[in-house]
Amino acid sequence: MKSDLKENLKEVVLAVLPITLVVILLQVFLVSLPWAEFSRFLIGAAMVLLGLLLFLQGVKIGLLPMGEAVGSELPKHGSMFFLLFFAFVLGFAVTVAEPDVRVLAHQVDKVSDGLVGSNLLILTVAAGVAFFVTMAMLRIVLRVPIAWLYGASYLIIIVLSYIAPASFVPIAFDSGGVTTGPVTVPFILALGLGTVAVMGGRSSFADGFGLVGLASVGPVIGVMILGLIYG
Amino acid sequence: MNTILPFLDFSHVFMEVLLALAPLAAFFLFFQLLYLKLPQEFVVNMVKGVFLCACGLILFLQGVQVGFMPVGTAMGEVLGAMNKPWLLIPIGFFLGLVATIAEPAVHILSYEVEKASSGSIREKTILATLSLGVALFVALGMAKIIYGVPIHHILVPGYLLALLMMRFCEATFVAIAFDAGGVATGPMTVTFVLAVALGMASAIDGRDPILDGFGLIALVAMAPILSVMALGMIVTYAKKRS
Repeated sequence: MKSDLKENLKEVVLAVLPITLVVILLQVFLVSLPWAEFSRFLIGAAMVLLGLLLFLQGVKIGLLPMGEAVGSELPKHGSMFFLLFFAFVLGFAVTVAEPDVRVLAHQVDKVSDGLVGSNLLILTVAAGVAFFVTMAMLRIVLRVPIAWLYGASYLIIIVLSYIAPASFVPIAFDSGGVTTGPVTVPFILALGLGTVAVMGGRSSFADGFGLVGLASVGPVIGVMILGLIYG
Repeated sequence: MNTILPFLDFSHVFMEVLLALAPLAAFFLFFQLLYLKLPQEFVVNMVKGVFLCACGLILFLQGVQVGFMPVGTAMGEVLGAMNKPWLLIPIGFFLGLVATIAEPAVHILSYEVEKASSGSIREKTILATLSLGVALFVALGMAKIIYGVPIHHILVPGYLLALLMMRFCEATFVAIAFDAGGVATGPMTVTFVLAVALGMASAIDGRDPILDGFGLIALVAMAPILSVMALGMIVTYAKKRS
């Protein structure tokens, strides 16, 4: 656990510090906001650093073992419906807990003056991830090549991006980028590898990969559909 | 004192964090009671973990909402109002480069790709390719905001290119490439860099924060996909020739 903490500390510092330094350089040489205002950034950076550290530590000793326990339990029942239904619920619950998803939702809420509320966006993104995690499980069971699934989803995204209201398209694409965070990725991998191990007996290497990418396709499609409903 | 006060009002984030973690905890509890029946010590550890997660999330969200978002937007507004806005393109490039080189997830990915290429591409080469790829796409994202290019004019060709490259690439590389999308979208990109972009878009004449400000995260997520596939094509091609 101590080595975990050290590892996490290194990870968090490396993720936060470089950009913080560049921002300080920008502040000194180019932007010159009042220092009273800029100091909020520094306090924020310290809080984000500490918060992420605690969060990652908590993920390692709490959420990750939870996800692995449930993820490896799901395929064992040999029932396809059981697996798919709970893969959906798990995908949903995991995304709701993802910090980056929340931050994006806040920004959208603020910029759109509440037109797209943060809870609505979080629910849409979570439903998108959940649906595609389910599809990914189905793919493993039915042995559909992953390239087909990517091809089909990308084509759907391209078509939707021309039909959906223009104001939803950039938000939709960004939603895809925030779902691959510290909570979602280990959960989905545990679920995928568990499914491959029980259902397949084929090369788990090639089958387990590609799941995370699929999970980030779901929200893009979900938010565009939300736009179609709203517009 | 005025700068510190807003940080102390936690009531907002408190509720939010409860809502964020409750579904997962409830889901686990359901499984634990019905199927898993793990020994008590496991469960106690998990409760501790969830508690740590909650504390961390409260601090993180508070820091982002009170610290990063307002300051990021203010900085973006100053940057967008500069008389030489093209300067933002090299700044974006630099920001992308610095953020990616240090990111731990990128190092893990580089190692994975080296393994998949059976050592024929060195980790350092992969790291450099990825960092340059992300830097280029952040620069592109800045240009997109300054000149008001619609996001799908960049992303649709990008997706089509990815689909095309997929055909010339071994399956292992395809899978790694698509999973790699998330490696560079670290916590700073989503929180601070996005706030800066939104500020810029609201300051530059004729730009709209919703239409032009969003989209940067998607660009940062696309860069590693294309970079890894490009490396995969090189490996596949070299194997065929030998």
